Amino acid sequence: MKLCEGHIAFVTGGSKGLGKAIAVTLAREGAHVGFNWMKSEVEAEETLAEIRAHGVQGFSFRTSVLDKQGLDDIVRTMEKDIGTIDILVNNAGVSDVVPLALMEEEDWDRVLDTNVKGTFLTTRAVLRGMVRLKRGRILNIGSLAGVKMMQAPVHYSTAKAAIKGFTESLAKEIGRYGITVNNLAPGVLEGGVSVNLPKGRLDEYIRHTALGRLGTFQEAAEVAAFLVSDRCSYVNGATILVDGAV
Amino acid sequence: MDCVSCATPIRQDRPHTFFHHERAACPTCSAQHEGRVVLRNDKPVRLLLCPTCGPSEETLEGTAESYTAAFLARGEVPEGFEGEIEFKETTSTCPTCLTLLPAKVVIRNNRVYFKKNCEKCGPSEAMVSEDAKYYVRAYAFARAGTEPLVFPTKVEHGCPTDCGTCNDHEQHTCLPIIEVTDHCNLECPICIVDNQYSNHIELDVFSKMIDTLVRNEGQCESVALSGGEPTSHPKILDLVRIANRPEIGRVVVITNGIRLGKDREFAKALKESGAYVGLQLDGFTADTHEKIRGKDLVKEKTAALRALKELQIPTQIIFVATRGVNDEQIGQVVELFLSEDHFLSLNFQPAAYTGQGGGIFGHDPMDRLTIPGVIRRVEEQTAGKFKTSDFFPLPCSHPQCVSLTYLLRLNDGTHIPFSRFVDFTKHGTLLRSSATLPATPEMEKTLQDVMYDVYSRQDEIERGTEILAALKRTIRTMFPDRPLTQKESLLIGEQQAKSIFLHHYMDRHDFDLERLRKCCHHYPQVDGRIMPACGFNMFHRGAAKGTGTSTPSWGKKPWTKENGTTRLSIVNQ
Repeated sequence: MKLCEGHIAFVTGGSKGLGKAIAVTLAREGAHVGFNWMKSEVEAEETLAEIRAHGVQGFSFRTSVLDKQGLDDIVRTMEKDIGTIDILVNNAGVSDVVPLALMEEEDWDRVLDTNVKGTFLTTRAVLRGMVRLKRGRILNIGSLAGVKMMQAPVHYSTAKAAIKGFTESLAKEIGRYGITVNNLAPGVLEGGVSVNLPKGRLDEYIRHTALGRLGTFQEAAEVAAFLVSDRCSYVNGATILVDGAV
Repeated sequence: MDCVSCATPIRQDRPHTFFHHERAACPTCSAQHEGRVVLRNDKPVRLLLCPTCGPSEETLEGTAESYTAAFLARGEVPEGFEGEIEFKETTSTCPTCLTLLPAKVVIRNNRVYFKKNCEKCGPSEAMVSEDAKYYVRAYAFARAGTEPLVFPTKVEHGCPTDCGTCNDHEQHTCLPIIEVTDHCNLECPICIVDNQYSNHIELDVFSKMIDTLVRNEGQCESVALSGGEPTSHPKILDLVRIANRPEIGRVVVITNGIRLGKDREFAKALKESGAYVGLQLDGFTADTHEKIRGKDLVKEKTAALRALKELQIPTQIIFVATRGVNDEQIGQVVELFLSEDHFLSLNFQPAAYTGQGGGIFGHDPMDRLTIPGVIRRVEEQTAGKFKTSDFFPLPCSHPQCVSLTYLLRLNDGTHIPFSRFVDFTKHGTLLRSSATLPATPEMEKTLQDVMYDVYSRQDEIERGTEILAALKRTIRTMFPDRPLTQKESLLIGEQQAKSIFLHHYMDRHDFDLERLRKCCHHYPQVDGRIMPACGFNMFHRGAAKGTGTSTPSWGKKPWTKENGTTRLSIVNQ
């Protein structure tokens, strides 16, 4: 049996990058998958096609994770069309490489809003159904930068550390409803924030990894698929590093 | 009122849930006695106390769940059935000679009756519930009692002769009612006590009683000062001051309100003392007051209500409901209760026909008001504000004794019964013998659970968004980011929710030993005994059929003062 057979998943920021890899991997594992996106319709259509190619239902929504009404509409639409969402992957996030000295208030707000407030708003919209079901899996996508001291933008590290706190408190709060909440914290992944890093800094990072290379979206997505599956029933409130050992 | 520790799920000394009484044979001498069935470790067990052979116990067949289901099934009446079903048996009293005797509990036309046969006085019947379905279902709410720290008396001869309370009693003291005087400024035709106009309790005696209570219970959410008319005690404010200690949440002065209405300085002093008021208010017309309280009290009650409102004294309204006298004013008192924030709870008491007045008050034991009848009138007379389904048996007392509903205050000042958004079968912690919600860890968890339940079904629940907002306010208010004192934790939930209680005290017609076994409303005595209320009224006060009713050989009269010394009379010992 596939890992997520019969489940209904929603992945934020699922049209590209790690979000896309998770969305498509969940589809491969039998889940019906919805995702939201903001920028590229073409990428969203490609992702949707890849999801449906696995023989499951796919849903694509152009909605911001900061749009409360839009999120409620997504939950209602999926509920009506396919059933209650029981897997949520809070993946949507933004970053930019700005030193603190040059960081404007709006830079700070943009990163904190999308990464943290977006996670909160999406979770609140989806959680209602999971409480009703008395089961669910919530996987937040954090970062190694939220766990260890790294040369990363401070607003990004702050946001990812907040995701860790969010994960732990929520896991404690809603565990009694059979819902697990975990934090998947990848290291630097090919095609992710690494594309914005100067070569020297990237090389230095790789030198500190035990495996001596960057990870891939797919490697992180495989872990994500297990963490939201029924087989992963006793991991809760945890931060799982997928970093090749840094 | 009153049961902080009722949240504790089981008694530590005997971890069982008392379920009901049934007769059984002593395994040694085969004599028939009344035993009690308890649920222990998922098994039904019958405990028996034989006066000759001592205690014994027998594990019954099946699991606790299957036993309960089979028990409840006994009370199911087939559709269209018109005869009589024998539901169970218990011990009641002969209404004529007050002898304890077996009673068959039967269901007929969806009503519940006791059928008894006294060897001396002959057969008798009494109606005990106007709704058999409610009566039977109530047993499903039975919950384990809570152990007091100290039981004042030992088991010697069995219930009810060993009161009180002996260590076979199944519940601690939720509400201590201390009769501080036997003077009164009314002679109520419905009075359930027997005023002798001889005693005001001395301060030192009262102080010792409070010490005893605190020693026995650790803490009390409420202590009620009653009488007589407690405001006729010349040192009533001193009594409030003595009782108002950290281990006691509320001191409630149960009063007819006459002094409050006419003596504003006293009312102010009472407010300043921190006392709460339990206002007897059984109706709104001269005729009603005359029939129940012996005189037209419309002006006096109006004045008392005005004083309570102006001084914002936290108040419990107590309404004794009697068929054909004031049952048409039930809706009106509910509306009054909802109209003001200083009314914390409303307590309906279907009349018990015992005491100097009640014992001789005209009534028909086959057609009287009981808890389901009052609930039905609440629904009929409040234009849809309440439904009968809003009320639930109180599990921590005997479930036939008390029914209640809590009302959450929404942010617009209106109220909604918790039953509209809470599944009480899941959240039994909310069914408490308490006027308001205490800030205990159990309550915090329960309120969070309730909040998540509402959140997950928000669109299906009437006023779901408003309920969530009110729950958020309630949790924020009750569980602030600072430590609470013991007293604060009991009182901080006021203004978040109101409650309506229905408490049916027993009399010679519907007395049920099984209910007495788990009674939690107790009269503390000056000698340290804690007497379950209905047992005291029936067997010890000497007024079960009016003044001068004889008491059994083991009966103990209320406290008296003789030769300058307060003592508890032991009669016919």
